[in-house]
Amino acid sequence: MTLWKTIILLSPSIPVALAFAQTPDPGPNEAGRGATVSVDATPTQRKTEKSPNPPRPIDHSRAERGKAVYQRFCISCHGEQGDGHGYSAQWLDPRPRDFTRAIFKCRSTPSGTLPVDADLLRTLNEGLYHTNMPSWAVLGERQLRDVIETIKTFSPRWKEEGPGDPIATTPEPADDPTSRSRGKGVWNVLACFNCHGQTGKGDGPSVPTLFDDWGFHLTPFDFTSSPHRKCGNTDKDLYRTFLTGLDGTPMPSYGESV
Amino acid sequence: MRGTICISVAGLAAGLFAFFLSGLFSPVATAVPAFARKTGLACSGCHEVWPRLNDFGQLFRDRGYRIGRDRDKPVDQDPSYWPIAMRTTVGYQWLRQTLVPTDAGPVTTQTGTFGFTGLDVFAVGTLGDNLSFLITYAPGLTGSGFQIAPTNLDSDLESAFIGFHDIAGTPFLNVRVGKHAPDLPIDEHRTITLTQGYNVYHFHPQGSSVAWEPGENQPGIELYGHSDLSRFRYSFSLVNEKGSELFSNNVISNPVVWGHLTGERLLDNGVLAAVKAGVFGSVGWHPAAALMLIPSGGGAPVAVQGTGSALKEHFRYGGEVHLRFLSVVNPLTLSGVVLGGSESRQLIAGAAQDARFLGGFVEGVWTINPRLSLIGRYEQIQTTQQGDPKAPKAAGDLRVWTAAIRHTFELTSRTEAALQLELSRVGTDAGDGTTPETFTGLIAFDFTM
Repeated sequence: MTLWKTIILLSPSIPVALAFAQTPDPGPNEAGRGATVSVDATPTQRKTEKSPNPPRPIDHSRAERGKAVYQRFCISCHGEQGDGHGYSAQWLDPRPRDFTRAIFKCRSTPSGTLPVDADLLRTLNEGLYHTNMPSWAVLGERQLRDVIETIKTFSPRWKEEGPGDPIATTPEPADDPTSRSRGKGVWNVLACFNCHGQTGKGDGPSVPTLFDDWGFHLTPFDFTSSPHRKCGNTDKDLYRTFLTGLDGTPMPSYGESV
Repeated sequence: MRGTICISVAGLAAGLFAFFLSGLFSPVATAVPAFARKTGLACSGCHEVWPRLNDFGQLFRDRGYRIGRDRDKPVDQDPSYWPIAMRTTVGYQWLRQTLVPTDAGPVTTQTGTFGFTGLDVFAVGTLGDNLSFLITYAPGLTGSGFQIAPTNLDSDLESAFIGFHDIAGTPFLNVRVGKHAPDLPIDEHRTITLTQGYNVYHFHPQGSSVAWEPGENQPGIELYGHSDLSRFRYSFSLVNEKGSELFSNNVISNPVVWGHLTGERLLDNGVLAAVKAGVFGSVGWHPAAALMLIPSGGGAPVAVQGTGSALKEHFRYGGEVHLRFLSVVNPLTLSGVVLGGSESRQLIAGAAQDARFLGGFVEGVWTINPRLSLIGRYEQIQTTQQGDPKAPKAAGDLRVWTAAIRHTFELTSRTEAALQLELSRVGTDAGDGTTPETFTGLIAFDFTM
C-alpha cells in the first residue's frame, strides 16, 4: 500500500479538517504538530469529553496464572513491577511499555482511554514491528489472555475506569487518482510532513522536538522503509491509528475531527 | 572427628537443599547469551529450562534465528553486538563401576574427580534477511571428562551450516547446508541431563560396521518446513554417514536419508495443555566390500577410500508422544519415544542374518518455574535379533535411568548459570549372564556467557 493510498482513507474528512484547522490546542505533545498548518483538526490526545466507562473487574484467577507467563517472557524488558524498567530495557529502542501508567499506543478506543482486551491481544499476537516486541501467538490464547489480566494489575487506572468504546470504521473509499489526490490534500492540511517529512521518510522539521510521555526521543515512522507498521499493516489498521492516535507519543488522534 | 564430618556433611546437604529450595521462590528468569543480547529477551523466553527449547524457542530456531519484526538483519544490530557464546560445565563427578575385569578377577571400582566436561564455542545468528548460520567449535581438551576417559580429544566443528529460510515466501521451505543435527524427537544437544544423553540415538547391534547415528551431527543438506507457529514441522536430511571408516564409490558416499514429522495441538486447559506426536525414520546405505591395499611397509591390508561397493541398507524408525501437563509455560512434560532399527547382515561381522533392535525411553521433565526443574528418565534398548544367531540374544542390551535436579540461579540476558545434581545408572548386558553397571553422580555448575 502506498503512502498516498493510506492517506485517502481520511480524504472524505478534508472539509471537516479544514474547519478545525485554526483551532489551537496546546497539549503535552505539541511539538509533534504542524508548525505552518496546525493539525488542530485532530488533537484529542488523552482528552475526551465523555466520562470514562465504568471499570471492568480484573479476573484475578487469570491474573495469577498470567504471572507465570509474565515472569518467563515479559519481565526482562517490562520489569518486575511492569514499569518498563526490566534489565534489558536500557538497551532497547524504543523502550518497553510502562504498564503502570496504562497508556497504550495500539488501540481501537479513543485517545486517552484504556484499550479493550482485543487490542492488547492483537499486540501480543502480532508483536510490534520495529521494536523488540515479538509475536507471542505461539503461546496460545489462554496464556495471552492470562497475561493481559496480569498487566492490568500494574496500574490503578484499570480499577478506576473501563476501556473506551471501540471506534467505528467506515467503508474504505476506492483507490483511484481522485481519492489519492484527496489523500494528498489531507496530508498537507494535517501537516503530516512536519513529522513524517515531505516524502514520508520520517525526516520532517519537527523531528528534533519529538519526545514520548516518558521523555525519550522518538523518530516518526519512515513510510518508505518498510511495509510493516507498529499497529498493523492493513488499511483498517492504519485508519484506526489515524482516528485513535498513538497514545504516549506525539502522534495525535484525528478521531474527534474526522 | 567422625562427628565433625557428619555435621559437615549434614551442613552441606542442608545448604544444597536450601539452595535448590530458593529456586522455588525466585521470580525472574533469563538465558541464551548471544540471542538474549540481541533480542533483549530472557533466556527463559526461548528455553523451558536452558538448554531445552520451549515453543517460542523452537519457532525462533525454525525461522532461522529471527524474531520477525524487521529487526533481525545483522545491519540492524548494535555494532557492539557479536554473536558469540560459550558453554562449559565444571564440578565433581563420582563414578562407580561393577564387574570391572582385573587380573584378580572382576572388581568394583570407584573414582571421585573434579573436572570439566569440555567447551563449546558458539557463533550463531543471521547473515542476512533470510539467511542464518551456526558454527559450534569444540576444542580438543585432554583434561576434559572429569579426568576419567576424556571424551573430546579432537578439535572439531560440531556444527557448521548456513540456512536459507522462507524460500518462495513460505515457511514450509527452508534449507540448511552443512553439518547439522538431524531433527530428533528430543534434541540431544539440548538435553538437560549431563551424565547421560539418549543412548538409543547411538545404538548399534553387536559387530556393526555402520557409523550412522541420528544423535550425531551430520554433514549434508536438510530440507525442512514448519507452519506459522511450528505446530506442524517436517525435516528431511540427506547426509553422509559421519565417521564411517569406509566410503563408497558414489556421487554421495554412504548416503543416509533421515525424516521426521511432528504435529502439535494446544489444548489450552489447565490439566493437559498440549499434545505432540511424531514419526521418524532413516534409511542408509553402507558398503559391504571394497578394494584393499597392503601398505608398502607391510601390515594388514586396508580398504581404499572411494572403492566401497555392494551397498547394503540400514534402517531406523520410530514414533513419539509428548504430553505437556499443567501449562505450556511451566509444564510437566511426559515424553515417550520408541526407536527401532535393523542393519543388513552384510554390515555385521560374522553375521548370518540381519540384526534388529528395539529401544526407547520415557522421560519426565517438570519445570516448576524457569529456575527449577526436576528430570527423570528411563531408557531401555533390547536386541531383538543378533546378526550372529549363536550370540547371546541380550548381549549389548542397555537399561539406563537418570534423575536430576537443575537450579538456574543466574539468569540475565547476558549470562546463565545452573547448579545440577544428577545421578545415573547404566546396566549393559555382557552376554555372559552378567550386567556390569556404571553409576555416575554429578554435582556441577553449568554456565554460559
